[in-house]
Amino acid sequence: MQCVLVTPEATLLDSQAEFVALTLFDGEIGIGPGHAPLIGRLGCGEMRIRQADKQRRFYIEGGFVEVCNDVVSVLTGRAVEAEKIDSAEAERLLAEALHLSPRTPEQFAQRDRTAAQARAMLRVARA
Amino acid sequence: MAKARALDKRRRSVKSIRKITRTMELISRAQFKRAMDRASAATAYTRRITDLVAHLAAAGMQVKHPLLTPHAENKSMVLLVLTANRGLCGGYNSGVLRASQAAMTERAEQWGEVRLEVSGKRGAANFKFRKIPTAETYTHFNEKVRFDQVNLLATRYLDEYAAGSLDRLDVAYMKFESLSRQYPVVETLLPMGRLGDHSAAGLGGPQYDFLPSAESILDEVVPAAFKAQLFKCFLDAAVSEQIARMVAMKAATENADAMISLLSMSYNRARQGQITGELLEIIGGAEAVQ
Repeated sequence: MQCVLVTPEATLLDSQAEFVALTLFDGEIGIGPGHAPLIGRLGCGEMRIRQADKQRRFYIEGGFVEVCNDVVSVLTGRAVEAEKIDSAEAERLLAEALHLSPRTPEQFAQRDRTAAQARAMLRVARA
Repeated sequence: MAKARALDKRRRSVKSIRKITRTMELISRAQFKRAMDRASAATAYTRRITDLVAHLAAAGMQVKHPLLTPHAENKSMVLLVLTANRGLCGGYNSGVLRASQAAMTERAEQWGEVRLEVSGKRGAANFKFRKIPTAETYTHFNEKVRFDQVNLLATRYLDEYAAGSLDRLDVAYMKFESLSRQYPVVETLLPMGRLGDHSAAGLGGPQYDFLPSAESILDEVVPAAFKAQLFKCFLDAAVSEQIARMVAMKAATENADAMISLLSMSYNRARQGQITGELLEIIGGAEAVQ
């Protein structure tokens, strides 16, 4: 099974994988070889790839996954390798978001979005 | 000796200018390579997004989204002009500015007021000089423009468009077609009109499962496509800027070379003339003594 991870800035990964786990918009999904064709909406969270000898972990932020012909394509706005996550920065963002006092629905949505992203990032960094 | 020395001084200054233009050419060549790689990476992303939309359409999904349809009323529009932060890149900035100026006068008839947003110090300075008010100026988009920077901007436009305070977004930038061809364009990014090519519809590809649903995916794919498009504009602008600078600096270096050889010739001639003059003086003096 081939796994491709693409962001607008770069193609971060294009290699063989035995198993891929992704955080979807509303839960987690595991994809093994020979999975049925699928298009899914991603949430913020962890992406795990098991390769022959090692496991790699990424933090991904929204986007899509497409499974077709044994190729898993992950399109995301942002992807960071788990070891490279800046926990201090994420914690700062989270504290900042929680300190906001939003007034309009859009501001509420933005605060919740930022907080959810920061929390997901911290979760991936700690795991 | 006066004339020869002045010529030599000029030649030296031209030589040092040549060194600078040559270095700038090499720098922009390296930066062009990097910008080009980033642009092709972004193209890979956009292509996959387009494929995704085609698959949605093939699954019998009606591709409909608020971002794809124009608003009923035409009240406010934004023209985003992408220029460089630095000059010395030939006709790059002036080309974009001329195109944006033409677009502005044309759109002003239909839209009344056009809100102007400018990226790049060169464009900002130009509009300030012409006393055209700009709503926003950005100077932090350089040749290494990052997606999260553009993402912030794109999210703001999307929010405004959804809230109804923005009815149209045009972007004026230098489009990159090939190494030898870049041209200024004014493109309409919002409303998006059509998304990609739907020719795959009805061909019956694989039967996809949609998680959580096709509608939900469409809700996300359209803004993602918009962001990718805006990012592509910035990347194109960065690539074109480096090419323009490369070409301009190459021409400047060649001009400097021509000037150096011209000055060298005049200098040698002046020096020779001086020596001849001195010799004549000595001979004349010696003959007068005899």
